[in-house]
Amino acid sequence: MVFSTPFFLFTYFPIVLLLHYVAPLKYRNALLLVVNLIFYGWKKPIYILIMFASIGIDYVHGILVEKAKGEDNDRRARRYVIQSAIFNLALLGFFKYWDFIARSLAAVGLGFMPVLGLELPIGISFYTFQTMSYTIDVYRGDAGAQRNIVNFGTFVTLFPQLIAGPILKYKDLADQIDERSYPVERFAAGVQTFTVGLAKKVLLANNLGALWDVYKAMPLTELTTGGAWLGALAFAFQLYFDFSGYSDMAVGLGQMLGFEFLGNFNYPYTARSISEFWRRWHISLSSWFRDYLYIPLGGSRVGKGRLIFNLMVVWAATGIWHGANWNFLLWGGCYGVLLVLEKLVWGKALDRLPAFLQRIYTLFFVLVLWVVFAIEDFSHLLPYLSAMFGAAQGGFTDGALFYHLRSYLPMLLLALCGATPGVKLLWARLPEKLRQILCPLLILAGLALSTAYLVDGTYNPFLYFQF
Amino acid sequence: MTKKYARFLSAFFCATLTLGFTANALTPDKEFSQVENRSLAQRPAFTAKDVLSGKFMADYETYVIDQFAGRDAWVAAKAWSERFVGKQENNGVYFCDDGSLITRFELSEDDQKRLESNLKYIDDFAAKVSGPVKVGLIPTAAKIWAEKLPAGAPNYDQGLVISQTLQTLTTPAFGLTDALAGHKDEAIFYRTDHHWTSLGAYYGYAALGPILGYEPLPLSTYTKTTVSDEFYGTVFSSSGVRWVEPDEMDTYVPEDGITVTSHTYDAKGNPVEEPRQLYDKSYLTKKDKYAMFLGGQQSLGVVKTGNSDKPKLLLIRDSYSDSLVPFLTPHFSEIHLIDLRYYKRSTAQYIADNGIDQTLILYSVPNFVESSLVWLGR
Repeated sequence: MVFSTPFFLFTYFPIVLLLHYVAPLKYRNALLLVVNLIFYGWKKPIYILIMFASIGIDYVHGILVEKAKGEDNDRRARRYVIQSAIFNLALLGFFKYWDFIARSLAAVGLGFMPVLGLELPIGISFYTFQTMSYTIDVYRGDAGAQRNIVNFGTFVTLFPQLIAGPILKYKDLADQIDERSYPVERFAAGVQTFTVGLAKKVLLANNLGALWDVYKAMPLTELTTGGAWLGALAFAFQLYFDFSGYSDMAVGLGQMLGFEFLGNFNYPYTARSISEFWRRWHISLSSWFRDYLYIPLGGSRVGKGRLIFNLMVVWAATGIWHGANWNFLLWGGCYGVLLVLEKLVWGKALDRLPAFLQRIYTLFFVLVLWVVFAIEDFSHLLPYLSAMFGAAQGGFTDGALFYHLRSYLPMLLLALCGATPGVKLLWARLPEKLRQILCPLLILAGLALSTAYLVDGTYNPFLYFQF
Repeated sequence: MTKKYARFLSAFFCATLTLGFTANALTPDKEFSQVENRSLAQRPAFTAKDVLSGKFMADYETYVIDQFAGRDAWVAAKAWSERFVGKQENNGVYFCDDGSLITRFELSEDDQKRLESNLKYIDDFAAKVSGPVKVGLIPTAAKIWAEKLPAGAPNYDQGLVISQTLQTLTTPAFGLTDALAGHKDEAIFYRTDHHWTSLGAYYGYAALGPILGYEPLPLSTYTKTTVSDEFYGTVFSSSGVRWVEPDEMDTYVPEDGITVTSHTYDAKGNPVEEPRQLYDKSYLTKKDKYAMFLGGQQSLGVVKTGNSDKPKLLLIRDSYSDSLVPFLTPHFSEIHLIDLRYYKRSTAQYIADNGIDQTLILYSVPNFVESSLVWLGR
């Protein structure tokens, strides 16, 4: 199930909220587990079984790790951590990468693996990373093993963040899983965050996504240089508002159910370097790779050669995490190279540039690389990139470009404002009284407009089936 | 945030969700949407098989969307909102300055393939039947009224489909672009519907005269009768646009002495005859007013004119012919109409059995590329 549907908003979620608040405290996790599983199995119920396997195996491994540590048997504890990581990676590998590997091998004449054509279980990249963090956290002593399997199941399947993050680390959530409070201020904050997220996804992301779809599908003979850049810009906005909208909705829903999740985005398009961009974009993923891959590899306190190796490993993994295809690997690899260059070559020079040049530098690479991210077929990707750099078969501009610019200009300007902290700062400067009057009106407007767009829902993609 | 305000905000949000939930639960389900002119999804049956496959859940979501309380108002609100933020189209329909709504024409790869197959089916068909077969293509408002579209609006040139058809077919084929473009300043298409008006159909009729071998009557022969001035057509429905004026519907040709019979088959395969009219005025009180012409869709229709000395014409056609047929009545004794979307028997056999003198395959360009003519092969 996804959040941005009339069914979720006006059927599933009201029922869940009602049941949640009438249920006695001690049954709330059990109730959440049940509704989480319904949420998860909504598209393909059979995949609930994967969830059971995942919960069962990691639950047992957490306890085994803790027990081995209690007996001071570090080797055994380590073995259990590795065993659980292998299980999670195997699960992810099988469902997400099997076909990719099979096709790639077949392309070089090694067609011994059959292509299975399995549908990717929704959110698998998110929850396998989440459960992997659990045994590692227990091993590192950052959290105790969870003895209650219902509580553990609730952690693994928690529906607000199950399918598109943020990726929760067990250590951040351990206390809240066992016991949490329900202050009304948190609920009210959740209402605001959720509505903002819904509006970002339905009103901004879907709208600009339609513009990207025009340019993505445009025959290369008609593509212009201006159009290729407009398309890339539309995709950059679509992905940001879609993804951060989803994260906001997750945080908001979590708050309404008594949880506090960490935010996932911090105005990434205002970043002044690539490294800053990645401290602001999909924070829960970057920090996951930092905590569980980059630092174990030695982090940055190593020799130059090793640093380059570490960064490239992390960024190849980040790339392929986003989708089982070569373009994602290329996309991650390019970021790896850029980060190596920033760390070792031009970082200091970049710091001395004026802020607007730093932003142009960052956005240039981010935009170009979003195209690499968005177009999986290299026979289309390469001409699209060449079109961006002047070799467009359709010339520099055409009538259609002006039509689309005119039609989408207000949305693009809105998106531009929304991608900077300006709106938030302005809001904070309004008098308290005015905010109190405006807030319910804006919530109503956000819900009503989103409902209108969803009820006429001709265009409402879910972008993370790949992840 | 004070506790009191937090309580208010939380209650406000919950009340909004509850209102939506209750309104949806209390609104009775509708079978058919008059405004959108389509059947709405119904509550899916809860069966173990459909639940396990996920079909039940997918259908249920569609059901909630289709039966959403106040659906028509939401759809209209979205169109308004799109216009407000500067869009010049909604759901593939362009808002034109004079209040016309024009559906964008696109030719997908599938359409292109279907077009090529259709051309082959037609040549094969023409080679095997007795009597002449001709092909006519009608460009729609997106072509003839292209100047009305917003500047630079993407719109595939229907002229390319027509020229490909003319070049590829060995069967004689004709495009009606020039005939219609010559009158583009007149009301030859509805502003809110995808069809041509009776006036547009007249110019089509005039252009078909030399092709079908009749002398078209001058427009001044007829008396125009306005039968409705509140027609909102299919483009109005799909666009969500609710701020345009309705269309006027006219008829020109008197229906005296003409009988129309629609032929179908019942569940057991026995032939059933249903009498129809050239103009079925009962449709004028409904949403689908264009169905006034010949009573709307039918698999096989036979129009008898009483001019027994005249030849028999078969039209293999789409709904554009419904408003064309009145003009053809003086020149034929019988006009047979076959709609290949519904007629699944052998058309070649039909021609032989009914003594058809000549056949015209007449389609609007969008329908010609969107519907397969594979049944011609029977």
